[in-house]
Amino acid sequence: MAGMTADTGALRELTVGTGAGLDTADMVLNIGPQHPSTHGVLRLKLVLDGERVIACEPIVGYMHRGAEKLFEVRDYRQIIVLANRHDWLSAFSNELGVVLAVERMMGMEVPERAVWLRTALAELNRVLNHLMFLGSYPLEIGAITPMFYAFRERETLQAVMEEVSGGRMHYMFNRVGGLKEEVPAGWTGRVRAAIGEVRRRLPDLDNLIRRNDIFLARTVGVGVLSAADAAAYGASGPVARASGLDLDLRRDEPYLAYGSLEVPVVTRSAGDCHSRFEVLLDQVYVSLDLAERCLDQVDRISGPVNVRLPKVVKAPEGHTYAWTENPLGINGYYLVSRGDKTPWRMKLRTASYANVQALATLLPGSLVPDLIAILGSMFFVVGDIDK
Amino acid sequence: MQLPAVLGEPIRFVLNWGRRYSLWVFNFGLACCAIEFIATSMGRHDFIRLGVIPFAHGPRQADLMVVSGTVTDKMAPAIKRLYDQMPEPKYVISFGACSNCGGPYWDSYSVTKGVDQIIPVDVYVPGCPPRPEALLHGILRLQDKIAAEHSGLGGVARPDELASPADRVGPPVGRSTESLTAPPVPPPAAQQ
Amino acid sequence: MSIPGEGLAKGLAVTLKTMTRRSHTQQYPDVAPELPPRSRGVIALLAENCTVCMLCARECPDWCIYIDSHKEEVAVPGAARPRQRNVLDRFDIDFSLCMYCGICIEVCPFDALYWSPEFEYAEYDIRDLLHDKEHLGEWMATVPPPPAHDPNGEPAKEEAAARKAAAPPATDQPSSGPPNARRRPGSGSRTDEEPP
Repeated sequence: MAGMTADTGALRELTVGTGAGLDTADMVLNIGPQHPSTHGVLRLKLVLDGERVIACEPIVGYMHRGAEKLFEVRDYRQIIVLANRHDWLSAFSNELGVVLAVERMMGMEVPERAVWLRTALAELNRVLNHLMFLGSYPLEIGAITPMFYAFRERETLQAVMEEVSGGRMHYMFNRVGGLKEEVPAGWTGRVRAAIGEVRRRLPDLDNLIRRNDIFLARTVGVGVLSAADAAAYGASGPVARASGLDLDLRRDEPYLAYGSLEVPVVTRSAGDCHSRFEVLLDQVYVSLDLAERCLDQVDRISGPVNVRLPKVVKAPEGHTYAWTENPLGINGYYLVSRGDKTPWRMKLRTASYANVQALATLLPGSLVPDLIAILGSMFFVVGDIDK
Repeated sequence: MQLPAVLGEPIRFVLNWGRRYSLWVFNFGLACCAIEFIATSMGRHDFIRLGVIPFAHGPRQADLMVVSGTVTDKMAPAIKRLYDQMPEPKYVISFGACSNCGGPYWDSYSVTKGVDQIIPVDVYVPGCPPRPEALLHGILRLQDKIAAEHSGLGGVARPDELASPADRVGPPVGRSTESLTAPPVPPPAAQQ
Repeated sequence: MSIPGEGLAKGLAVTLKTMTRRSHTQQYPDVAPELPPRSRGVIALLAENCTVCMLCARECPDWCIYIDSHKEEVAVPGAARPRQRNVLDRFDIDFSLCMYCGICIEVCPFDALYWSPEFEYAEYDIRDLLHDKEHLGEWMATVPPPPAHDPNGEPAKEEAAARKAAAPPATDQPSSGPPNARRRPGSGSRTDEEPP
């Protein structure tokens, strides 16, 4: 940066290309909105000094679909359909937040069998979500193979999810007051078999990538997010837990049946890309165990899985905030009702939106080759950022 | 460029055969459907069996664009631009309800009601999201379409009705520009 | 500290191990996939059951069902006045817009709509994705019987209805019986369980 004076510093960011002679100027580089190494359409506006990123501004909104506004003209069953779709990798957990909010407003008691089934399905959904990132993250930094293994496991679990709900990604299986319908006969056995199979084959994925030397070189010590920063940005989920921010709503503010389950919370303290990846990988084992324990309960408890609803479901006037520990972090719905069939306002607090904010402090100072490693390790879903 | 007629049917068949089974695909992954697209490219469904190659480095190397996901008004210019960068012959599959016509978000203020408003679409795959087999089926339908094409060396001339007249290559098809430059037609009363 | 390259070797060992396994690729165009009965592929319409109550069209989250009907008078022998009946003229579902949520099927009080796992209806023209009454009726042939419910839960409403129909002999049908034992909606045996 020879020849750079302080007064040109303000102008520097706007200069594109190279300066004349020996002067150098910083380059503004756009990553995205469509870029092969980002999943989804997040755009990053980077200011580069040579190979080093000196400023980063995430530009969001390429996937903004106005879901919150659409919630206001749909009744509570129709909202579930839309709520599924903002974070398309954790559809079940998204549905769950909506119905928990409405059930709380209506003072509804959900049958025990439904509660345990919901917990089991939420954990399976968590595994599905994490497997996606366990495959795509190595892919983004150049390791193609793990993706195939991750999707093999995903297909195994998606088969049982489809059997119960009919959908591979958007389950639409929650209803206010319980679940849509009873599970098919023998389903719990087939889920156990699927879980067993995934657990048996998961070491493949683990062996492929966790201690791979190249992967370690790309991720260890890269993109360190301190616990204080994570807390300041409101980061949650695996991203925050990798920084040592030990917060998991399943344990700290139990909903569903998590209160009667021992939920081991996977944490790391390094806060770098590798520990974020490890949290995800270890969480898969934990979630498989949890799902299996829920299934044991499901087999023990008999009874209905939903309650009879009035013909028109109306949440009484008031407001509530329901938050759940989604696979990617804390997902909350602030529901304001004026006693109508539709909410008056339904505010969405999404995990990825908060997590991605941390990029603005994580990226400056890092090298361009590390950029994708850091970006991928934030485990975001663009629909979840832009809503 | 239209082929001379003497070469005829065999060459057309060979060209179309080549185009059918080497579709380098550019995945315009936008939302949920992109995950199902990835699932289709993975081991279980594996569309490379059908000659669809998912390693196009960018639009300039691709023959087929799969638009999977919600097209927002903010994103639409980028899609149009990347489509324009693709070399002829090029094909587009609209994968899922959102890119077909806006789908769940058809009444949203920020969503484009279908990618066919900005680029021509060859095959529409319904579903929200469609299952991977549905994409395979869509690809088979596209291959049938390609096989039946009367194409020249540069592929089928596909007039882009949505492009501005200045961008148009070759004579405009459909509406003639003569009607804009011709002297006004006298009203019927004056003719009599 | 581990030996350098150990991670790589472990990964390659996994690859070698997988190489010897059978691949799990589905040969889709040649082999039809086995789909679970609940799979949400396409909506089938049993037009005879539809009474034009419009519930499905109203409850659809993106309002992609279009229904037209007219009233028809049916002379009932012995009744003082002819009865009015709704006749379905048009029942279209726009599958380019449909979200495949299943609300229409859930709210239908007369079981006129069913899920079918079929998915092979990609089209060259978006207008062809609007399936009319006849096209929706054709899907009925592909509707699978619903799966039996878990014995711990409540039986399916189809089972409850079947039991009610078979009430006089009071045979206790085990709820975990084979799914094929139950009526198949597409096979036209619907009238079996209607009360006489």
